[in-house]
Amino acid sequence: MKAMKKTTFEISQFGRRLGTRLEGETARRVLLAALDDLPPDGQLVLSLRGIDVLSGSFADEAIGKICQLLTSGIHGDRTLVVASSSADLVEDLSDKLAQRKLALLCRVGGTKGTWRVLGCLARPLVDTLELLNERGSATTKELAEALAIPPNACHNRVRRLVRLRLVREEKIDVAAPNTQYRFHAIVE
Amino acid sequence: MRLTSETIEDVLDLVLVKVERSLDLRDVRSIDVYALLLLDLVVRHARESGAPLRVTWPESPSVRRWMTAMRFFVDVKAGLAPHPGSQPTTLMPIVSIDREDDVSRLVGSFDDRLSDRYPMDESPRRRFLRILLELFQNIPQHANATGDVLDPHGIAAMHDDGHSVTLAIADKGIGLARSLRLRLRLRLGLHPDSPGQASLEQSRLEQSRLEQACLAQTGLSDADALRAVVFDGRSRFRDPGRGHELERIFRLVRSWEGTVVVRSGSALLYQSEAGGDVVDVAPFPGVQIALSIPRAVFGIGEAAFGEGGVESRGDPGFNEGNEENDV
Repeated sequence: MKAMKKTTFEISQFGRRLGTRLEGETARRVLLAALDDLPPDGQLVLSLRGIDVLSGSFADEAIGKICQLLTSGIHGDRTLVVASSSADLVEDLSDKLAQRKLALLCRVGGTKGTWRVLGCLARPLVDTLELLNERGSATTKELAEALAIPPNACHNRVRRLVRLRLVREEKIDVAAPNTQYRFHAIVE
Repeated sequence: MRLTSETIEDVLDLVLVKVERSLDLRDVRSIDVYALLLLDLVVRHARESGAPLRVTWPESPSVRRWMTAMRFFVDVKAGLAPHPGSQPTTLMPIVSIDREDDVSRLVGSFDDRLSDRYPMDESPRRRFLRILLELFQNIPQHANATGDVLDPHGIAAMHDDGHSVTLAIADKGIGLARSLRLRLRLRLGLHPDSPGQASLEQSRLEQSRLEQACLAQTGLSDADALRAVVFDGRSRFRDPGRGHELERIFRLVRSWEGTVVVRSGSALLYQSEAGGDVVDVAPFPGVQIALSIPRAVFGIGEAAFGEGGVESRGDPGFNEGNEENDV
């Protein structure tokens, strides 16, 4: 699978203190335009560099609603991740995503920081996602074996992760009776 | 006499339930910031209702100086003559919150005042600013969601009493129950407002009729609404991303071992680390909130004495007579 194009979006262009829904609406329009400029499988890295405060209302309006749109599929296979210097900056964003029953990957602590899941993701799905992120890519069969769970259960997990735009899928054998897929991490 | 979040209820009871038209505050020796905002709204509400209150202001010079420094009633001639002595430095005097596009600037000014005075720890400071952003924008977003409130008069102020930093924010808008009923009204298939097609008075009557219909069908009281918003995170919107702000703020302040007061309509929630519940109070429009957060949360040590001069220590140089004023 070819490498996806990543574009970094500095949200500090809207100010250091991101607070109201009104401001969030403005930011969402610009973010959506940036997302649409990406190739169909591109990734927008939302950088919180230089941000002092990110309120739940702004986060929901600007980021939560975009995550909702991404899961609806109208933006193709484009993905969104967040990069934050600290965990407390994204606390309210995480709460808002959880309210929407959505999840987002966030790298906390600079380019060598750790990836963590914001929002709402059941523990088994987190385990599956972490395993896939560790391996880079895998088939359902490989994941099921590593997790010691039935393939069907594993298939359901990765389908959910694909719908949430937390992993990407690639058809690898369309000639087989059941189309075979390989799943790819969206983060390195 | 101390006017606090508890004793201000006696004042409201006098004015709103017993319909007293005069208010004697001569013996008030201290006022907390939440009580000060409520006093402001009660006086305005009475005046707008066509029955202004006759207020006798506190005798205590330190209280008067503090009220002046807090810019209490600075926008109208309330008859509270400023004391000639030097005014105490307040943490943040009363500001008006009218427009959503002004909220970030206002929060910035609160941040500046707090940061200028104290070198605060970053993490609690950021959390506190997020609280300010959410509470401030609630006023332009919700206080007049029905469009029939002449002036919701959103105000906020902040005070440091030496032990805690207290943020008070108040309005006399539609309150939580009316706000939630907007959602219920849609669910019940009742028509939303059409303010442009009727006079304001007709609109109010229609509003009232629809709300009574909703109340009859849903039984949503002020106390129910307060619990639903603070404990269950309910809002008037169907959008799952809306709501839960007060719930989150409430949880955060409790984790800081602070206290929370939320008043809306005829219900008041007082919550401290020792517990608390919703109690009935005199009905008053809008939502009024106070959050008291121990200074230690921000990494600020305790002061030897409360700042701002709210605790009256007497002032022998003060010899003005009492003023009585219709306000």
